Amino acid sequence: MKIPLSWLREFTDVQLTAEQLAEALTLRGLEVRGVERWGANWNKMVVGELLEVGPHPKADRLQLTKVRIGDGPILNIVCGARNIAAGQRIPVALVGAEMPDGRRIERAEKMGVASEGMLCSGQELDATDDGDGILILDPSAPLGVPLVDYLGEDVIDVDVKPNRGDLLSILGLAREVGAITGAPVAYAARPLKEGGDAVAAGLALRVADEALAPHVVLRVVDGLKVAASPDRVQMRLKAAGLRSISNVVDATNYIMLELGKPTHAFDRAKVGDTVQIRLAKKGESLETLDHEVRSLDATDLVVADERAALALAGVMGGASSEVAPSTTSVIIESAIFAPTSVRRTAQRHNLRSEASHRFERGQERRLAVLGADQVAALLTEWAGGLARSGRLVSGAEEVPAATLNFRPARVRALLGVALTDDEQVALLGTIGISAEAAADATKIVVTPKRSLSAAKGSARAVRVPSWRSDLEIEADLAEEVARLYGYERIPTSIPSADLPPHRPSPTLLRDRVRRLLADAGLHEVVTHALVSAAQAELWSEPTALVTGSLAASEGAAGGASIVLKNPLSADHDRLRQSLLPSLLDRVDANLRYGATSGAIFEVGRGYGSTKGVPSEWTRLAIAVWGEREQGAPSAGATRWNLDELKRLLAQVAHLVGERPAYGASIDSAVLHPGINAGITGDRFAGLLGELHPASPTWRDEPRVLLAEVAIAGLRSGRLDVAQVSLPPTTPPVTRDIALLIPAATTVGHVVDVARKSVSRATAVELFDLFAGAPLAPGERSAGLRFTFQPSATGADDEAITAELAAFEGAVLRACGARIRGVEGQ
Amino acid sequence: MDLAALEKQLRTLQADAATRIAAAASTADLDELGSSLLGKRGAITEILRGIGALPADDRPKIGVVANEVRAALDASVTARRVALSAGELLERIERERVDATTPGPAPRIGSLHPIPETIAAIAEIMASFGFVVAEGEEIEDDVTNFQLLNIPEDHPSRDLWDTLYLQEPGRLLRTHTSPGQIRTMQAGGPPIRVILPGRCFRYEAVDASHGFEFHQVEGLLVDRGATLADLKGILDELAKGLFGSAARTRFRPGYYPFTEPSVAVDVSWPGSKDGWMTILGAGMVHPVVLENGGIDPETHQGFAFGLGVERIAMLRHDIPDLRAFLENDLRFLAGFR
Repeated sequence: MKIPLSWLREFTDVQLTAEQLAEALTLRGLEVRGVERWGANWNKMVVGELLEVGPHPKADRLQLTKVRIGDGPILNIVCGARNIAAGQRIPVALVGAEMPDGRRIERAEKMGVASEGMLCSGQELDATDDGDGILILDPSAPLGVPLVDYLGEDVIDVDVKPNRGDLLSILGLAREVGAITGAPVAYAARPLKEGGDAVAAGLALRVADEALAPHVVLRVVDGLKVAASPDRVQMRLKAAGLRSISNVVDATNYIMLELGKPTHAFDRAKVGDTVQIRLAKKGESLETLDHEVRSLDATDLVVADERAALALAGVMGGASSEVAPSTTSVIIESAIFAPTSVRRTAQRHNLRSEASHRFERGQERRLAVLGADQVAALLTEWAGGLARSGRLVSGAEEVPAATLNFRPARVRALLGVALTDDEQVALLGTIGISAEAAADATKIVVTPKRSLSAAKGSARAVRVPSWRSDLEIEADLAEEVARLYGYERIPTSIPSADLPPHRPSPTLLRDRVRRLLADAGLHEVVTHALVSAAQAELWSEPTALVTGSLAASEGAAGGASIVLKNPLSADHDRLRQSLLPSLLDRVDANLRYGATSGAIFEVGRGYGSTKGVPSEWTRLAIAVWGEREQGAPSAGATRWNLDELKRLLAQVAHLVGERPAYGASIDSAVLHPGINAGITGDRFAGLLGELHPASPTWRDEPRVLLAEVAIAGLRSGRLDVAQVSLPPTTPPVTRDIALLIPAATTVGHVVDVARKSVSRATAVELFDLFAGAPLAPGERSAGLRFTFQPSATGADDEAITAELAAFEGAVLRACGARIRGVEGQ
Repeated sequence: MDLAALEKQLRTLQADAATRIAAAASTADLDELGSSLLGKRGAITEILRGIGALPADDRPKIGVVANEVRAALDASVTARRVALSAGELLERIERERVDATTPGPAPRIGSLHPIPETIAAIAEIMASFGFVVAEGEEIEDDVTNFQLLNIPEDHPSRDLWDTLYLQEPGRLLRTHTSPGQIRTMQAGGPPIRVILPGRCFRYEAVDASHGFEFHQVEGLLVDRGATLADLKGILDELAKGLFGSAARTRFRPGYYPFTEPSVAVDVSWPGSKDGWMTILGAGMVHPVVLENGGIDPETHQGFAFGLGVERIAMLRHDIPDLRAFLENDLRFLAGFR
């Protein structure tokens, strides 16, 4: 809401500068978005006086003028306008001035005569819509002063919160200013002269639904002439951010800004004999003022006549009854509409107007009559009309004043400030919330649904001003007391009592994982959760990988992709299931930025829906590409490869006490079918591999390696407290077993069988892998090293030997692999 | 063989060995020479084999001589070894010399993203006042995201949140972390001190200070006697923790449907660019919200606050454009190592 200060000063005395006022309003909860000097772009423009106006020797269109601008030399200016005469005061753009449209004023020859400046029209100043004539100033305008000092305006832009509809008006803001300055606030209503026929002659009002339109007022003004508004009105509206339309429309807008009361003017000649306020009929349509034809819904409230809908009530007028240059008589409709109804209609038609904005926030009942009268008064003043006597009125003009009780002790307890009962009441009084003499004020409204009885004498009563319908409960008054007292004066303390029991942070493990990877040289990223359909289709995590308790704690990926109803764009219209598409998107971006190598990770959520029930899961995703090691010529270039990625994963898995087990290949659109593996485990599961060569983000160099894993506790787990036993004095022993693995068998499978069947081994490592002659094609020889920790007595030697023997059988059965030899002690 | 002949043999050996020891070219040669002279099967031992032929009286005498020769040769070998090994060490050093001034491989330094790290910084500060971390779901329902927070359907205050809705009726992406207030209160009664960080979504065009995905941290304290003064105290400490102990805070009335009174908090610190910067919204929990959370507003009260993580991170790290956080340019991220 933009407030020109001169307008504010019509209702209360303001000695503060615009900046001081902005600061004071901000500290009282009326956040000022900005302070501007309207007219500040009028540089090198001053008030001048026309001394002479005469014909141009060579051009009939032009006139020669002599202009005085104070004590300086008289200027010769050539002018094309016809509305000027000697003795007038006018705005003069001096040589060197820059016009609001960017044009520069130079000394110029115009048809052989030198011109030392320009006389300005309102349009050229971007002050009024009149481009035909020069803007004629008041004869009292001070000669020679900069134009901005005479016509300029300080404008404060206040961000009005949704609960304070009363502040969407100059008068409402004046009340707040008065509370700050202590100066009185008064609204002097313009007197209205009525005459001619009674308004009821030939016009009736019928309100079909009083719940949606509890109060409607109509006036009629005859004999008016539609024209441009007076210059000062146009400039004031412009400073307040509204466009000038015509004197009739401007009058309604002027009162809307001044009182916060939207009204609408209908061309009387285009309306029948009955103004109806009713719900729209099925199939009815209406062309609104923006020339959109809107098909109406049966819950839209309309203003209509006996034939058709004329306007969307509280939202926008209709084209058929629009005020036109030919209009001579108007009906002014000033009503109270149900806020919810107006809001729904405005939303349904995606049609937010200054009027609907105000109706949605509630309207003070008494403004209906006042608004209609004030618009009528302005029309008689600006358009020469005559108001018919009387009004057509439906519903009560006033509602009983509300009183509200509060417990000053409760306010003290809530704010933590020692304000006496009387001080609190006095503070409320400054904003018009006046004390009521109610000895038996005991009913306290705690919430709209809950009231209680206060101890006798503990509560005070106040009368809520008619414009403050936002004040409904005791806490609302506590806020007013705090606001008017000043938040800056409330003391500062630290709460001391009632600590809740300790709960470990859900991010403990997550933070360990993040730190580990950052220390290993990876960069953490945070990417979009909203992705495109193409990105989402790239991926569906095989749900079989994350199972059991891990799926229960971290969420099983899967279900349907969750799509937005109102996406901002197709690029971000659904929630990701996997993190990899958004991670890949960032790999691609960084390759474009020239990062030929990189390593990134994200701990984030995936989302899916199963039978309409949404679920969210937390995953770690990694993408690495290019060189792993840089600046080490001795070591040669080391590129990211599967083993290095597995080393990272093993380090992460170690945090949850697990060694990743790599299993069957994953069928996915994003992973290279020949370079990938699934990871299964109770606490660490997922997949890894190289980017699929058919992926849109794939390129020959560098190759991109990816992994996405679920980790037990990543979402909310704590770190386990390690349970350790003291090691025996005997050293560990190792057994190396060489195996011949047939072509169809994976090493991962063999290692898995080894880990499961040799349960006494504290570690099973692959220390050698060989293929080629003398082995048959596809065959491989693998060396597995088993580490055992014998007890001090050596009593388990036989058991170890037995387990290894059992492994020999198991690996042959399960994998077709044969033992080639055993070594070790 | 008599005594004299044996002694002469020993002396001859001594003289000859002394020359050879002095001529030894390396410690390896010397070791070999040493054992050939002094070892179990060395020359001295060999000579002493003839001792059996001597009369018993002479045997101790030749023993004395042999020990003397052995000691002398041993000393010569030791002396020669010292001399040789000093030279050999120098030679080895030269042989092994490398240029150790090469810059070495680039460090593998990763980084932690400023958004989770800013959240962690806030969590750490608040932990010192007994606030624990909890996290909620990002897919919410209209009831918890709005209605229970005293934002009814068709209320103009809904205009404060432009919402991304799911196709499923009533479901949406949370527009703020505030529904966590309701869920926390419903999950357990007071006393409550909790912060709720997380990702939020809004139907909002992207520019330098807005995004449709962003992060917030909600804070909630409910007990029997927390006051607006307590809110000021805690949030002042939070601001000082984030912006330095010289930071100053300014509290002014704000508007949120779920707090009453509502507070907007501005901060300014030495070196801050534009005077007062708004960093968070807060207020005393609205009695309707307490009631919706199952807490009696007559016996308990408290305060809540919510802050935008991106905004805090921008101010702390002097980042002019919020889009950098989701852009994840490695050159940008490398600044947070």
